[in-house]
Amino acid sequence: MDKPATHALPCTAGIGLRAPHYREVLETLPKLGWVEVHSENFFGGGAPLHTLLRVREHYSISLHGVGMGLASAAPLAEDHLSALHRLCDAVQPAAVSEHLCWNSAVGMVINDLLPFPYTHEALSHVTSRIEQVQEKLGCQLLVENLSSYLSFSHSEMSEGEFLAELTRRTGCGILFDVENLYVNARNLGVDAGAFIRAIPAEAVKEYHLAGYGIMDGCLVDTHGAPVCPEVWDLYELALRHIGPRPTLIEWDTDIPELPTLLGEATKAQQYMERYHADIE
Amino acid sequence: MRTLNNVLSDLAHAIVHGHETPPDAQAVYPNYRVTTAMTVYRNNYRGNLHDTLACVYPVTEQLVGKDFFRMMTRQFIGQHFSCSGNLHHYGAEMAAFIAGFTPAQGLAYLPDVVALEWACHCAYFAPDAATLDINKLSRIPPGHYPDLILLIHPACHVVRSRYPITAIWHAHQPNAPGEFHIDLDSGPCIALASRMNDVIHVSELAEADAAWLLSIQAGTPLGTATDATQKQYPDFDLQAALINLASKNVLTDFNLGAAP
Repeated sequence: MDKPATHALPCTAGIGLRAPHYREVLETLPKLGWVEVHSENFFGGGAPLHTLLRVREHYSISLHGVGMGLASAAPLAEDHLSALHRLCDAVQPAAVSEHLCWNSAVGMVINDLLPFPYTHEALSHVTSRIEQVQEKLGCQLLVENLSSYLSFSHSEMSEGEFLAELTRRTGCGILFDVENLYVNARNLGVDAGAFIRAIPAEAVKEYHLAGYGIMDGCLVDTHGAPVCPEVWDLYELALRHIGPRPTLIEWDTDIPELPTLLGEATKAQQYMERYHADIE
Repeated sequence: MRTLNNVLSDLAHAIVHGHETPPDAQAVYPNYRVTTAMTVYRNNYRGNLHDTLACVYPVTEQLVGKDFFRMMTRQFIGQHFSCSGNLHHYGAEMAAFIAGFTPAQGLAYLPDVVALEWACHCAYFAPDAATLDINKLSRIPPGHYPDLILLIHPACHVVRSRYPITAIWHAHQPNAPGEFHIDLDSGPCIALASRMNDVIHVSELAEADAAWLLSIQAGTPLGTATDATQKQYPDFDLQAALINLASKNVLTDFNLGAAP
């Protein structure tokens, strides 16, 4: 079953647009095909939504959710889904994405992106929830692989196999976060090459690139540093096996000056063009 | 094999309440043990909530200082978990919490300032609404005025205090002059938070205007609300109140309610 995409993101490099850069981006209109924002920051009206609608006049928008909790055991929060639906109606995004994670249990929400065991039970559960989201939004959802600091002894498949099966069952797309995969390879010993081979190339609709921090030997997905050489190498491997896709530079903590962010995006663009050229 | 729900519930308790890590999580990783992973998750959990509160309550943080604010949020986070995937919903109970927080008792005005900051936060993220169309209003036959139901902008919030919270709030805005003098005994204050052209405004309301506004906000028809207000406050001037509130984008629309 293939869900229609809203309308595709341009196959170029984009940046995660955060509040410190709204004004500068609107005033200088840097050469970028698209930008991505965190959906929840635009639930409601007023300044946030109106700023986003102004950005929308110049760039394609990708809405990236951090709060849906696709794998939480509790029912999907209807008000959250409705707020996202209203935002999609207002913005007409080129892509809508969420993370393959959970964030709520026993009545508590943990506002983070948390890992879960990749079991058949979880697969059925997440499948039905993605179907629920896609039905409500009327478009394809992109699901992002997770950066994780722990894994579960009773997982029955890898994250790559889990994602591949989700795309087959629901028609969802994959947002392949290359840095998350690198973090998992270093933290958990995940086989990065096997992940890339496991996910269907045609389902991958977007890449993310970001930097990480380290705490007591554990790589932490801080989005607070430049993309490291090893992640660029892994990105190149992904480009070779999967092909070029819209690629985002994500930076959320210690946010640098806009030119630094644009410089990283230019670098990603150069990597992509090398593979565009190879294809042609 | 334990169910997904059981595994996630135990992990949630481990992160939020510091319970033991459930045995489903692998204990050893190439470069660290599971205790390190849990420390990262616990730090993320508390850090995200603290940063959220610091964004919602910048005046409060200035009033008590960063260290005291962090001590206060640590206690608050221990007592109030998040209930929404949207972090902008977190922190509503802060005013009530501070009212009962012994180390902050010396700052009697603090809970009301906190309530005003929450009102501003809600105003910032409130849905959009129309601006009152005066021409449309002028076409209503005067005989129908008492039946008018005026609609109040969802960004409009009223906070009452025994202290001059409006002055305190204004003195701690980023563009405020450095020096100020606030008389804490200057009498009660009714603060109005509203949103105009996407900017949050904090102003002060007269008792009578506030009584009328709250009555209108509750859906009372114009005639009944005005009569009740004038009974309590003989000096209440409806026209002046309408002009004042319309200028603050508090009134958005109207309908004729139960009128024929």
